[in-house]
Amino acid sequence: MHTSQKRGLHTTADRIKLHFKDSKGTLIKTVEANEGDDILSIAHEHDIDLEGACEGSVACSTCHVILSPEYYDLLPEPEDDENDMLDMAFALTDTSRLGCQVKLTRDLDGMTVMLPSATRNMFVDGKKPTHH
Amino acid sequence: MTQMKLAIIGAGPSAFYVASRLLSLLPHASLPALRIHMYDRLWAPHGLVRYGVAPDHPEVKNCTHKFDTAATDPRFRFFGNVNIGSTPISPIPHSVNLPLSSIFSNYSHLLFATGCTLPTLHPALPPSAHCVPALSLVHWYTQHPSRPPPPALDRITHVSLIGNGNVSLDIARMLLSSPSDLAKYDIPEHVLDVLSRSSVKHVSIIARRGPFEAAFTVKELRELMNLPEASMVPIDPSALIPSPDVKLTRQQTRALQLLRKGSDKSLGTTPKTWSLDFFRSPTGLAPPTSSSPLAQLSFAHTTLDPKTNRAVSTGETSVLPTSLVVTSLGFHSDPMMSFYDPGLGHLRTLSGRVISSSGTALRNVYASGWAATGAKGVLASTMMDAYAVADTIISDLLPKGEEANTTSVPPSPSPEPSLQTDNDILMNSDPRLDGVPPEIEVTLKGGLVTGYEDWKAVDIEEVRRGEATGKERERMGWEEARTFLAQSRTATS
Repeated sequence: MHTSQKRGLHTTADRIKLHFKDSKGTLIKTVEANEGDDILSIAHEHDIDLEGACEGSVACSTCHVILSPEYYDLLPEPEDDENDMLDMAFALTDTSRLGCQVKLTRDLDGMTVMLPSATRNMFVDGKKPTHH
Repeated sequence: MTQMKLAIIGAGPSAFYVASRLLSLLPHASLPALRIHMYDRLWAPHGLVRYGVAPDHPEVKNCTHKFDTAATDPRFRFFGNVNIGSTPISPIPHSVNLPLSSIFSNYSHLLFATGCTLPTLHPALPPSAHCVPALSLVHWYTQHPSRPPPPALDRITHVSLIGNGNVSLDIARMLLSSPSDLAKYDIPEHVLDVLSRSSVKHVSIIARRGPFEAAFTVKELRELMNLPEASMVPIDPSALIPSPDVKLTRQQTRALQLLRKGSDKSLGTTPKTWSLDFFRSPTGLAPPTSSSPLAQLSFAHTTLDPKTNRAVSTGETSVLPTSLVVTSLGFHSDPMMSFYDPGLGHLRTLSGRVISSSGTALRNVYASGWAATGAKGVLASTMMDAYAVADTIISDLLPKGEEANTTSVPPSPSPEPSLQTDNDILMNSDPRLDGVPPEIEVTLKGGLVTGYEDWKAVDIEEVRRGEATGKERERMGWEEARTFLAQSRTATS
């Protein structure tokens, strides 16, 4: 389980900017966070509609986010357990990660975090999951 | 409409995700006024999260925190131990019965979130002393109120699981794990007791098709491969070569890597073993005789028909001696349910709206989760489906042109032009907002029907009792819970 880092006396220079966007690319909110914070906790702190059913314990895929390729490549590879959950994520892409497993570092400043396609697609596409 | 008094039948994750979504999208102070009454035939809420998830998967159950939050909303009420149906027959003998007509007359809206509660059986393997559905084992190790008998594991050496989905792998893992490793989890003491006296040496996980058609997910396969006390019989490498013209999915590719690598412990180094047996379709089960102490499970060998991707017989047969056959072949909804479609195995819906047998959408009657989609999907897909159904409910409720505050989701389209809304109105368009059906009203002081605060008191007590043995929680059955709640009420009155 992840807990956000304590807020010390951080200056503006220490803060990392993230742009949360919806699946169409529309900006939802730009936020600032600290090194070591994970994307799920950051989203919740700023009232962004990113679900986290298992609360950061890599037992679901509801915090699935899509990152821009150049930032995705800066992250360490997902572990097996994260990849196992990503297998199940709806609308998985090559730059998908679980938000709870992405911890911020300074070089991620300015990263775009896109929330995947919304629930409406379940009925429009008729996509049925096949595992339980 | 200026109000929605919604009855939800079922209190599992689908029900709670719909409720939670409606409560957050419709603010307290504004119209339409909202009330949600959630019913479950079990005394404890949360459905499969409590009575389906394996004991060694505690993280999955974190989703209940969100359900707890929804339940604190004053517009929400939970009624446990209430069986709603057109027939009073329930597998839970102690539940209170409420006819569906009472729901129609006391509520303006109805959501079926009743799941797929019946196991799909194998035509060649009827239940017997040597053949049980997987659901009865899951109900045994989760202490489900239907209280199936425990398997006689002290007299069982070989278990044959028919089906290779995650339920099958869960059962294999429970049988192959060491009880001391399981002891810290949410697993009843009597279950641990039976497991500690188990003589199971081998578990065969049998499927009629091949590795690329397997229903398990990589997480569950990996857990089996990593077991410290069980090793897998290596799979013939020729069975793990994909045909060149088929593009494997990400999941198939990752499963293939695991299958090739095999189990962490090699065969022969562990007290227990397991195997994935592909291309075997059961044709019958002969009980033990005086000359053969094990039952005999007979198979037709199969291959894949390249055109249909279905299993077809090769003509070859074989027999496998086994102590217990467990069929794990999926689930379907109760055929006695209103609006059940026998062709589908679940309720008939479109965009969450229940469709009558004449093809019209029933006004203000909805279904979500496995009751609407069939028994497929994990929490993530359940959540997405539930949110989509909640959006449909809201868009049907609000006047045209208005939208609730759905972040990035447009409201559901109104029924397609060819889909008529039924002219009959089943529900009550003007129910008493805070009224409870009279049949339930009379039971409320008697302690037969549980409220959410009753569940929370039991929840806290189960965790407290678990602390005594260093485990996550020690579950209570209905009689224990009822006694505990009665004592708590006396103590505080």
